[in-house]
Amino acid sequence: MQTKILLDEEEMPKRWYNVLADLLSPLDPPLHPATQKPVGPEDLSAIFPMELIRQEMSPDRYIDIPAEVLEVLSLWRPSPLYRAKRLERHLKTPAKIYYKWEGVSPAGSHKPNTSVPQAYYNMKAGVERIATETGAGQWGSALAFATMLYDLQCTIYMVRSSYTQKPYRKSMMQVWGAECIPSPSTKTKSGQVVLAKDPETPGSLGIAISEAVEDAATHKDTNYALGSVLNHVCLHQTVIGQECREQLAKVDEYPDVVIGCVGGGSNFAGISFPFAGDKMSGKHKDVDLIGVEPASCPTLTKGLYAYDFGDVAGLTPLLKMFTLGHDFVPPSIHAGGLRYHGDSPIVSKLVHEGVMRAVAYHQSEVFEAAQTFARTEGIIVAPETSHAVKAAIDQALECRKTGEAKTILFNCSGHGNFDMTAYDAFYAKKLVDYEYPAELIKQSLARLPKIP
Amino acid sequence: MHRIGFVVNPVAGLGGTVGLKGTDGVITEALRRGAVPSANERAISALKYIHGNDITFLTCSGLMGETALQKAGIFCFSIVYNSPVGSTTADDTRRACRLFLDEHVDLVLFCGGDGTARDVYDTVGSKVPMLGIPAGVKMYSAVFAIDPKSVAAVLENAGSLMTREAEILDIDEQSYRKGILSTRLYGIARVAALEEYVQTAKHVIEEKDEERAKNEIANFITEVMLPDTTYIIGAGTTTESIVHKLGLRKTLLGVDVVRNRLLLVNDADERALLATLNNDADSRIIVSPIGAQGFIFGRGTQQISAEVIRKVGLSNIIIVATPAKCADTPLLYVDTGDPELDAQFPDSVQVITGYRIAQRKKISK
Repeated sequence: MQTKILLDEEEMPKRWYNVLADLLSPLDPPLHPATQKPVGPEDLSAIFPMELIRQEMSPDRYIDIPAEVLEVLSLWRPSPLYRAKRLERHLKTPAKIYYKWEGVSPAGSHKPNTSVPQAYYNMKAGVERIATETGAGQWGSALAFATMLYDLQCTIYMVRSSYTQKPYRKSMMQVWGAECIPSPSTKTKSGQVVLAKDPETPGSLGIAISEAVEDAATHKDTNYALGSVLNHVCLHQTVIGQECREQLAKVDEYPDVVIGCVGGGSNFAGISFPFAGDKMSGKHKDVDLIGVEPASCPTLTKGLYAYDFGDVAGLTPLLKMFTLGHDFVPPSIHAGGLRYHGDSPIVSKLVHEGVMRAVAYHQSEVFEAAQTFARTEGIIVAPETSHAVKAAIDQALECRKTGEAKTILFNCSGHGNFDMTAYDAFYAKKLVDYEYPAELIKQSLARLPKIP
Repeated sequence: MHRIGFVVNPVAGLGGTVGLKGTDGVITEALRRGAVPSANERAISALKYIHGNDITFLTCSGLMGETALQKAGIFCFSIVYNSPVGSTTADDTRRACRLFLDEHVDLVLFCGGDGTARDVYDTVGSKVPMLGIPAGVKMYSAVFAIDPKSVAAVLENAGSLMTREAEILDIDEQSYRKGILSTRLYGIARVAALEEYVQTAKHVIEEKDEERAKNEIANFITEVMLPDTTYIIGAGTTTESIVHKLGLRKTLLGVDVVRNRLLLVNDADERALLATLNNDADSRIIVSPIGAQGFIFGRGTQQISAEVIRKVGLSNIIIVATPAKCADTPLLYVDTGDPELDAQFPDSVQVITGYRIAQRKKISK
């Protein structure tokens, strides 16, 4: 039995898979925040290069990956697929567990799969600087790495609480030459408004997005880049799922269950969209696609499927997605990451239509699973990733009950080497099981922007 | 140099060992039954961990402080109150505390139980933080140190202490001896605490700022309050912040009723609560855990009786608490005096701890 299933560099996917081509019905269009009419390419051109706008809206099933981008991706791609033999033995499960290890990238997660092409297309369009936001710092460090490759300047608005708590992610951004600013900041109007209301705010991803978008929209030489949620970001991540399908085919397998954690949805999209395509086309109707989210920010399981802003200030287009309300500031003390009020519109639609499903876990059970994984497979995963680990373990334990030998695949999206304080808190029994008071909130969700 | 006022209630806990469930008014009976005073021993066991050189104690003569300090090997103290010969009373504790305040102490350390806590609170209020070395029969108030070692840690950091709110409870000893726990919230003191281990996790840290946390809770609860619904709002500063957010006055130590953002009943007793429930309007109860044990019903909220809870319905109870309070209260307790109702409470409940955020807490019944 093989432990690592590897692809040669020339077997790396040369095209991204665009699941929009296979959706059962068209995606609801993003709407302009002022007019509430569908946005056109020109509306987005103030902050995105045209090629990414084209990808955002493309109906084509496959989009070629530029040779220059492939050359960079080959630094860590194809990434290995592992058979989690030790974990299986530990769980005494008849299930076969496979995990795709994305922690091998320079930034330590799946994020460079999209930061590299995004920086590339911006460089091609003559953009000089990119502004972005980052929560825990995974995306910020990935974009800092990518902009460095193409000689672009990079300004990163980092959620203030992380900025203070995660000094090493900030250091990584510095090494790769990016400027990192705690958000909310006084540099933008959005930041000033938030600070005036609450000078002590820990910040949130929604606020940081507002600042980065405003920075890009008010500077001619500057564009904006987002690390998740948008269609083109999910598109770039499909190299993960495509590789997995090839790797599993080498050992005559096809997954019964595909699992990924969900914050904005891109790593789940990356591993699952190629399989979602197979499911919708009828080739593999029964594959179970599971997104895993924190009980403290349960967008897909407890949110409303509606049009909402992507940010706190209401600067972004309105997206049809599962949302907890754009003014939701998730608990900053939650250790597990994945705190975003909304979700990728495509992932949302697929969940809404039953092609995918979602589950939510409390953080202490998730860290428990991460510990089991570290003590069997060796890898200390990021808190976000541990959500996927937990769901995979639960699926395998279910198989032990039923005796089924399912093939379970999950996206092991990043390492937790900079998250040891969260593990420390787990061992000190200081992790609190936050949850979302969904019943009480039903009333307040009525305040979403009204779209006819 | 930190100035610590230190008072021992020498007879605290005396009734407990001989089954008297309290000491108020039964000292002679307790001694007759063979009770041995142990408060000073408890005090010494905490004081002996203190090694800091920059602490001055202001205390009372003899068994009200001096003896314990000397036996613990502490000699940097001055006596500001001369204890009476023979038995001491609550008044002695209060008088000593008044002198401590005159001497501008940084903290009042006392050794006793709930009764002593009340006596100290009567004088000190929330002007100066207090801390209790547990030695009483009953210690439902939230002002007692977890263990003797932690007293030393707090004292040695007296210059840079955090304080947190702590409920002082009033327990009726007569009823208590008959097996009935009749309590009410007596006051809200400031208790000295070491900065908690903060969860330096993915993002921020535990909320240190209690006021900020209360404000978040109030913002959320007032946002989801429904029209034409009766809200019975329990005692405490967290629930007070909700009522204040509505622009209304709250009875800090009592229960108020609010409907359509108007104050319906101020400081309601059980009968008044039942009267407001005598229509078909939907109703909710909003309470915060009280005391060291985290009681949500039965302690400090006697007005919200089993009958009131049944009328409102268990699914219509909203529990609120700041993250710091939650961290200090590992379990929640219910003791409505109606075991059948207690048994109907779920094993765990959601506690609102901020704006649109909750924690799951276990209930012990």
